[in-house]
Amino acid sequence: MDRELFETMRLELRRGTLVLAVLACLRTERYGYTLRQALAADGLEIEESTLYPLLRRLEGQGLLTSEWREEEKRKKRFYVLSPGGEAMLAALTEEWRGINASLERLL
Amino acid sequence: MDIIERYLEAVAAQLPTEDREDIVAELRDLILSRVEAREEELGRALSDEEKEAILHEIGHPLIVAARYRKGPDSLIGPELFPYWLFGAKAGLIVIAAVQALGLLISVLGAPADFGRAISQAFHGFFSGGLTLLGALTLAGAIMEHYDIKPKWLTKWRVRDLSAFGLADPAKWGASLAGTEKAKSEWLPKGARVWGVRAETRGAADALWSLIFSGIFLLWWMGVIRFDALSQFTLRSGEVAVAAAPIWSTLYGVILALVAAGMVVDAVTIARGGADRVTWALRIPLAAAAIWLAWRLFDAGWWFTLTQGEQVAKVMGGPANRIGTELLRALHLEGRGLEETAVTLGAVLSWVLVIAMVGYGVSIVQNLWRIATTRAR
Repeated sequence: MDRELFETMRLELRRGTLVLAVLACLRTERYGYTLRQALAADGLEIEESTLYPLLRRLEGQGLLTSEWREEEKRKKRFYVLSPGGEAMLAALTEEWRGINASLERLL
Repeated sequence: MDIIERYLEAVAAQLPTEDREDIVAELRDLILSRVEAREEELGRALSDEEKEAILHEIGHPLIVAARYRKGPDSLIGPELFPYWLFGAKAGLIVIAAVQALGLLISVLGAPADFGRAISQAFHGFFSGGLTLLGALTLAGAIMEHYDIKPKWLTKWRVRDLSAFGLADPAKWGASLAGTEKAKSEWLPKGARVWGVRAETRGAADALWSLIFSGIFLLWWMGVIRFDALSQFTLRSGEVAVAAAPIWSTLYGVILALVAAGMVVDAVTIARGGADRVTWALRIPLAAAAIWLAWRLFDAGWWFTLTQGEQVAKVMGGPANRIGTELLRALHLEGRGLEETAVTLGAVLSWVLVIAMVGYGVSIVQNLWRIATTRAR
């Protein structure tokens, strides 16, 4: 098997699921670093250079809210799902389950 | 300055000013969190090399800053790229055709300057090609940046698609060669279905006509120059060609007629070939061309040739007996200025007569096609 091709396809496959994973993880308030750790702990490694801009984009789209707070002697930006984000997460979860079920039948 | 601050400064320089402070503060927290986690793991402070390794993992400042950019990620996105590619291919073919024609004219006018003509043609192709690619990229980048979606991107019609085949050089070659297969591909669908035998004017013909008319128009307006047309060499020396006053009188008419012809060509291409509409449009054009040819023919004086002190007028038209003039011209010996003027006058007279007859025939042909072809 062509490892390089597999890696490209694997990244493509994962790319679409990252938004869903981030939204799901932010039902609980977190800041960037702990969010990344939580995702990694569940087997979804994501680069910081991808995660942080994604958080800002999702906030810009009204799906997240954020606030700066001091924790461990340093100001950190905490993110959490907005009401719009919760509705989006519910809709995307339903869509994901549909896709997953279809794929399960095919695979 | 600390290595981390130096890194953050490099990222900040690439960020939009309104978000800079906010993004940098967040990145600083991320980097420090990672440094602290690593320090906790090792039980000691990190060296600059170890900090740099973490910064390497986070990414080059240009890449990191680019991820925060709100606009598109690429200059020409995947949706627009096929259109960009088509424009580039078709445009380069057109530029190559224009340069080839210019080269042909230059070589015919002054065969001795073949080397210079070739180098000019290459220079013209490369500079024109680069300008075209630059202009296309700029237009595409603007469309991408401002998310402009013209109607032709979203509301295209199948009947308009044949023009896209024109970017295929193989089809051009086949069309020029007049192969049956190429003809059948370019002929309008209606003509084939209803079995019209009259020769029809396809999209490829219209494109060629559009290109040549465009070159003529640019030359007519003085945008491009073909030196071989204003000066040529006889055995006895250089001859300068000056236009007679009739050309100034008819300047605007010729400009308008060629421009109108280009519009009809463009309509023909857009409609995927000739049909009743374009045949109908060509009838008044041909009538105007007959009138124009007659005005030129009637004027009788077209050019003045000057060679040193010698001057000869290129004349013809109804005042001259064009048949006998041509015969006389063909029998003239030598290649003096006067003989050249007589030959040119006779040839131009015949060209104008043939053009008038040709346009008359095309009017009758188009009327016949309209009468015998059902609407699409």
